[in-house]
Amino acid sequence: MNIEIADVTRQFGRTRAVAGVSLRTGAGVFGLLGPNGAGKTTLLRMLATVITPTSGSMRLLDRDPGAYAARREIRRRLGYLPQSLGYYPGFTVAEFVEYFALLKDMPPRQVPGAVATAIERVELAGKARAKLRTLSGGMLRRVGIAQAIVNEPELLLLDEPTAGLDPEQRVAFRLLLRELGARATVVVSTHLVEDIGVACGEVALMDAGKLVFHGTPQELTAKGEGHAIGDAPLERGYSAVLAAARS
Amino acid sequence: MDDDGLIALVAAGDDSALRALFSRHAPWLAARLRAALPAADVEDVLQETFIAVWRGAGGYRPDGTAGGWLWGIARRQAALLLRRRGPAAAVLFSQVASDQDVGDPADTVPDRVDLDRAVAALGPPGGTEREVWRLLYLEDRPVAEVAEMTGVPPGTVKSRAYRARQRLRAALRADGSAAELGSRMMRGGAR
Amino acid sequence: MTGTFPPPDSPPDVDLGRVWIGVVGEVWRRRPGLLERSAAALLRSPGLARALLTTPSLLVPWLIASVAVLGAGAAATFGTGQPIVALMAPAVAAAGIGYAYGPGIDPAWELAASMAISDRIVLLVRALVVFAVYALLGLAASAASGVAAVLTVGWLIPMTLVSALALAAAMVARSANVGVATGLSGWTIMVLSWRAADGRFTAAVTYTAPRAALYLALAACCGIAAAFAPRVRKGTP
Repeated sequence: MNIEIADVTRQFGRTRAVAGVSLRTGAGVFGLLGPNGAGKTTLLRMLATVITPTSGSMRLLDRDPGAYAARREIRRRLGYLPQSLGYYPGFTVAEFVEYFALLKDMPPRQVPGAVATAIERVELAGKARAKLRTLSGGMLRRVGIAQAIVNEPELLLLDEPTAGLDPEQRVAFRLLLRELGARATVVVSTHLVEDIGVACGEVALMDAGKLVFHGTPQELTAKGEGHAIGDAPLERGYSAVLAAARS
Repeated sequence: MDDDGLIALVAAGDDSALRALFSRHAPWLAARLRAALPAADVEDVLQETFIAVWRGAGGYRPDGTAGGWLWGIARRQAALLLRRRGPAAAVLFSQVASDQDVGDPADTVPDRVDLDRAVAALGPPGGTEREVWRLLYLEDRPVAEVAEMTGVPPGTVKSRAYRARQRLRAALRADGSAAELGSRMMRGGAR
Repeated sequence: MTGTFPPPDSPPDVDLGRVWIGVVGEVWRRRPGLLERSAAALLRSPGLARALLTTPSLLVPWLIASVAVLGAGAAATFGTGQPIVALMAPAVAAAGIGYAYGPGIDPAWELAASMAISDRIVLLVRALVVFAVYALLGLAASAASGVAAVLTVGWLIPMTLVSALALAAAMVARSANVGVATGLSGWTIMVLSWRAADGRFTAAVTYTAPRAALYLALAACCGIAAAFAPRVRKGTP
């Protein structure tokens, strides 16, 4: 089990962004669905050890992220793509990926090869030496994915990774996801339902900080039988579950 | 785009041109090297070769001999790699590296070669043929330099090198584990 | 998204894809300058050295950090004479540097917060750089200006030493918090011994142990607050 969280809550003042979420998952691609404001980003931030839960217990990669040394070990094996990734405009693609590879404490000897592999995998080889300020939004997103995968993480957390990618790139991305999910736990947070169906083995649906569904995409589709809202079966399942949760 | 154009782009710092050169030439270079070296060594030599291409593209004169130029770099890198292993390994490759021999049709790659005995067949250390072989193949010096160092004309250097190779070949063949490599390896040079 | 080569006539056991990665890794590699390589050896971490050397190039954070450092320094050396100002100054400076390189200003702060080489250690390193640069500039300016001289000797140089001490402690203990605590203790001892030595801060109070303990406790609280300043996130769920 790479992720074992129990009854995790995160409060910001009086708002409960995440309210008692429990989850256990191992290798594979895990989709996190939900409307904006459902708490997906906050949950991902906690999994990325960027913020700590207000209450509840977390075990990531079989370690306790509350302990300093263990947290460092988790972070060396972690890849994270935040929803809004800032970048240093004067860096080139290769420099940016290399910077974070170094900060992830990768052995320096492995870094050039790992950076090259990551850049090739996101198909940015032609732009490796271009400055970030010259890239389009979709390319910047791919740079973000590259830095997340550069250390071959065991736990990969991607928050809205397909934002700005055109349909062809999204197809390529889903193939990459499947490859990565063979050995690692990949958590993909998205509000685009179709991103999930193809690549994910497990899906969770969040609404108002709570987990309202956890199962396979097929099970989610089944929930949508007879439901009117939604163009595709998975979308119908999605809106059916949301409607039930809110009523 | 033709090879000369690609190499010119590489010299100007275009890494996509290097990639195109690699796609085009790495396969046949790998095949040639593989006839004499194990796969892991082929990978190392190819990597060093194309890094050398990246660094040295400015030194190429665009006269349509890109294949020969590349093979020359690959040979040198292989020699460098083998030199680190010791003189015995270089013996084998010196058979391959020459571009003057007529090839022997036998294709087999040796399983076990008594390399020390073969080297001993060249004569005592300091002897004329062994010295020429050491300077030319182990230390990878050009013929002109070897001529200067040994104080003989280049033509003599070449004929001594030829005799050295003959002796090596005979010694290796006599072992029963032939070091004869394909004629396509022997011919080195331009493709 | 695989980027491998399908070579038709190459030997099957030669992995040309792996070879290409080796070539292009070398081609795309950045070659760090002498300064960065020395810093990497000193800090025993190439990542930390890189983070350090990118400090001045992030211009807006640099300016904000400078204001915090120099402002706090001015208050410390020319202030009302209350030791509490001097004791709080590092906390203010640290908070300023932390804010400057933290959320809202450093564009990649969220990513930096998930890194193995933690953003707190990076913060200590950056604090050292900011102080060291201004100490050097101050030394240069001291020849021309008395004010600069006082500020340099009374604040910039000691704080550079304190930051260096904090960083060293953090590296040894492998904990940024230990580093901050060490640095603050060093600064507090320094301030109190100045007071005891030459009545520099002209407050007409006598040096008593309980008051010293109070100042130490306050300094510690400010330090802890400063250490956690970069960790406070805006409350967006």
